[in-house]
Amino acid sequence: MNRQMKDMPRRWDSNSMMFAAGVALLPAVGVAIAERFSTIALPLLLALGVGLAWPLVFARLRGLPYRWDGALMAAVFVLLLPAAVPIWQIGLALSFGLVFGDLIFGERGRSFLNPATVGLAFLLFSFPGTASEPTGLIATIAAAVGGAILLGLGLLSWRVVVAFAIGITVPLLWLGGIGGLGALQNASLLLGLVFLVGDPVAAASTNAGRWVYGALAGGLVFLLGQVGDGVGSLSSIVFAALLASILAPLIDQIVIQFNIRRRARRQANV
Amino acid sequence: MQFTFRKGLKTNSKCIGGSIKEPSVQTVALLGADYPGVVFDLTVAEGEKVAVGQTLCVDRHRSEIAFVASAAGRVSDIHQGPRRRLEAVEIACEGEAERTFDVGAASQNHENLRELLLKSGAWTGFRTRPFGYIPDPTSRPQAIFVTATDTNPLAPDPVEILASHAELFQRGAEALLHLTNGPVYICQPAIAPLVSVVDRMQIATFSGPHPAGLAGTHIHHVMPASNKRQVWQIGYQEVVAIGHLLETGRIMARRIVSVGGPGLSDPALVEVSLGAKLSDIVQGLGNVEPTQLLSGTILSGLQAEYLRRHDLQVTVTGQDRPDDLARTFWQRLLGRTETPPTGATIPLESFERAFPMDLLPAPLLRALAVGDVETAERLGCLELLEDDLALLSHLCPSGTDYGSLLRRALDILAKEQAA
Repeated sequence: MNRQMKDMPRRWDSNSMMFAAGVALLPAVGVAIAERFSTIALPLLLALGVGLAWPLVFARLRGLPYRWDGALMAAVFVLLLPAAVPIWQIGLALSFGLVFGDLIFGERGRSFLNPATVGLAFLLFSFPGTASEPTGLIATIAAAVGGAILLGLGLLSWRVVVAFAIGITVPLLWLGGIGGLGALQNASLLLGLVFLVGDPVAAASTNAGRWVYGALAGGLVFLLGQVGDGVGSLSSIVFAALLASILAPLIDQIVIQFNIRRRARRQANV
Repeated sequence: MQFTFRKGLKTNSKCIGGSIKEPSVQTVALLGADYPGVVFDLTVAEGEKVAVGQTLCVDRHRSEIAFVASAAGRVSDIHQGPRRRLEAVEIACEGEAERTFDVGAASQNHENLRELLLKSGAWTGFRTRPFGYIPDPTSRPQAIFVTATDTNPLAPDPVEILASHAELFQRGAEALLHLTNGPVYICQPAIAPLVSVVDRMQIATFSGPHPAGLAGTHIHHVMPASNKRQVWQIGYQEVVAIGHLLETGRIMARRIVSVGGPGLSDPALVEVSLGAKLSDIVQGLGNVEPTQLLSGTILSGLQAEYLRRHDLQVTVTGQDRPDDLARTFWQRLLGRTETPPTGATIPLESFERAFPMDLLPAPLLRALAVGDVETAERLGCLELLEDDLALLSHLCPSGTDYGSLLRRALDILAKEQAA
């Protein structure tokens, strides 16, 4: 049954949403392949294989339709990978992320975490000492294009993006002046914002919550950057995204409590 | 009172006006599903001849509430579902027989008016908030909301329809004052008042994109319903029908309905009896693709055989053409992959952008989706009916029909409250 009318907003379903996110990721993947084909080709192939295999296992076990989200998460995971990670570590970390970040909760949307975030956090935690891959300006632009596509389609919350930008630039300006902003010209940071922090499943689900969540994630990137490899380093982004999405349900609960109290007051007054 | 909303569905679809066609409808039906919570007792048998306004069945627990025939004819079929629950009483239309009601007494006191509305079936035009049930015959709401605006895509234009029934509308609206001690709100677009205000009547204007024209939006902003405060809502054509009943003693069982949608080239207005068969309605409108017919709007409509009680729209859906050459390669590829029938709620920002109420859509939808009735109640589901969630169901990628989940939650909450 086709209920789509010409001038009505799109009716999304899980496939088309995944497809749109894939298109948004395409520039970043393309740039990464062009820039460092030799180092990324094998991990990308492996990750796509893993990302397609685990959902298949779970779809079979549960008798549910197959979903393609795993491939997308795998691509994000590979794009953010540090340099020279052994293949077996990639497979292990990604499997952990997919299974424990997403699949054991049920389908996508039932979890509160992004599987790529979980996988990367697992990798950085278990095998420390891996340095972030340095990226160029073109990669940053490619990531920004992807973000713009998702923003335009309404699949990425502009509130999260703006709050994140505020959360990270304000302390940077405070401490380092204009020069401090150089740390933001970083493809990993943008990719992390668009695909890890901005993932609607991992983010807060209320408008007020999105502001707090985005600012929290941005602030955490700054804070964690102070003790590790600097603001915008992979570990600062990944752990900020992880902590923020773990706290997102709590943020939502607080927003809900305020909403309930406000409506109860209004009920009493009208 | 004036309300202007920015949030909502951005669409160019205008209300439909113009000439009104009268398709010949062969069958009408009274549908059990239109009245949640009602157990019916039949008062007619199959094959019996009925007149317009004749009682077909009554509510078993509140036998004053009558459900009447909307067309004259013969009871051709009585469908009963599981546990002999009444699903439909079908009437094959023939003749013009009409029952008249004594309206002299109704103007004398409030109780007689109530009785007239109950036995003429006009009472079933009211819906309570919370719960969306037919109100109890003896209850008095804290306010009555007349919905004299409609922002649904391709809806009939209420202003144009009311312009030709202004006196009946006034008469009906004044009668509503006798049913409540509180205000009667006329919810209308931001134009000159559609009624001349008397007594406790108040004009509330609403402008903005859909759902600015839904009763749920009006009630939420003017006087939110809760388990401590019951309000009633009634559509503008129902009020005209009450005015007509009081004026003539005969019920007005015909409604002006718009027919439109992706499968119909030109939307049109038709005047048909309540519960008219949808395939009869669209016949002769030309260029109807062989598609499904929905009773209701493109957003909230349900696939049905007959026009539902509160619907003023029939939607002809577009056709799914999997091998259409106009579709791109990617669309075809996507169309081939299996889409899960219903998935998990994905909390997109677009929910809030389309929801002009001070409720939190994503947490509410999640609570409904997992069947957490208590949380749904705390998040304000008592203020809502199925229609209010239609737009969110449209926007949510999960494909869940939150309206039917809300109905289940409301039924549970109503039982708990009664217990």
